[in-house]
Amino acid sequence: MKRFEFKVPGGKLLRAKVETAYGRISFIQLTGDFFMQPEADLEELETRLMGSPPDSVDSVVKSFFAENRTVIAGACPADFIYVVSQALKA
Amino acid sequence: MPKDFRFLDLKVNDAYTNMAVDEAITKARGEGKAPDTLRFYMWTPSAVTLGYFQSVEDEVNLEALERFGFNLNRRISGGGAVLNSETGEITYSVILREDDPRVSTDPVESYHLLCQGIVEALAILGIKADFKPINDIVVAGKKISGNAQIRRYGAVLHHGTLLIDFDARQMFGILKISKEKLSDKLIQQAEDRVITIRRLLGRQIGFPEVRDALEEGYRRALDANLIKSELTPYEEELVKQFRARYASREWIYRR
Repeated sequence: MKRFEFKVPGGKLLRAKVETAYGRISFIQLTGDFFMQPEADLEELETRLMGSPPDSVDSVVKSFFAENRTVIAGACPADFIYVVSQALKA
Repeated sequence: MPKDFRFLDLKVNDAYTNMAVDEAITKARGEGKAPDTLRFYMWTPSAVTLGYFQSVEDEVNLEALERFGFNLNRRISGGGAVLNSETGEITYSVILREDDPRVSTDPVESYHLLCQGIVEALAILGIKADFKPINDIVVAGKKISGNAQIRRYGAVLHHGTLLIDFDARQMFGILKISKEKLSDKLIQQAEDRVITIRRLLGRQIGFPEVRDALEEGYRRALDANLIKSELTPYEEELVKQFRARYASREWIYRR
């Protein structure tokens, strides 16, 4: 399992744990002390990322937040992209 | 003109009941079956509550948790892990309807408003504190109160904790403090991040005095007419239902 954690300056802590298999994300868990509503959006984002190739993280996360009216405090979509991308490289 | 608020005075419960009560009031308030509410509470046994999105393995040293006899629970609100010590803090919650004109749709503004009761309470005790976005109250840069909000059932639940006393051995034995988290705070020691009322006042202030200051602080901040009352039978029924979920391993270890 590969991990990466990132404290958003002036914001909250984000962690990503990822596994890949056959060039796809086979496991992902995002955790941290940020605020997100609706809360179920985090699990939906994880589901969306599962099965995606690592180089599509940027577009998957951006399109997820563009399609949903998720309210996040302490982080922004770019922080989720960063933490997942770094975990994949770890 | 002051607005009526139901006031649920300080009661001590375990973590599962405490979290169930907050959610029960939130549901009842959203459904119009309960009034705006201010609640004070404490914990026995002491507990760690995780934010909704935190993982147990990242945040908690389970061996130390057991050794100190703490419960473990997960909030419905986000934010960080809190050590709810039975001897060192008072917890409070404010529950309003989500469409209440006093509650901003902007999360930070909404925290600012609902944290003011704590800033006022500390001022009454002679402590100058400030709201620090997103969800903290600090004294000279050190955290004395952490807060979390959630909007659910058509209501806003704001809950938080005010540190009266602090056992560094317990807190840093049980909570795993991320080095990343300390990285942008220009401090080396996690202990330097927090401060307590007793330390600031240099005396063994009792819980009743802090409770009184909190009541007056929230009365001023919310321009509230606080009416002492109890949970309704409907809320009591919800507490029973919700408590079972909060006490389940499935809920606590969901991340």
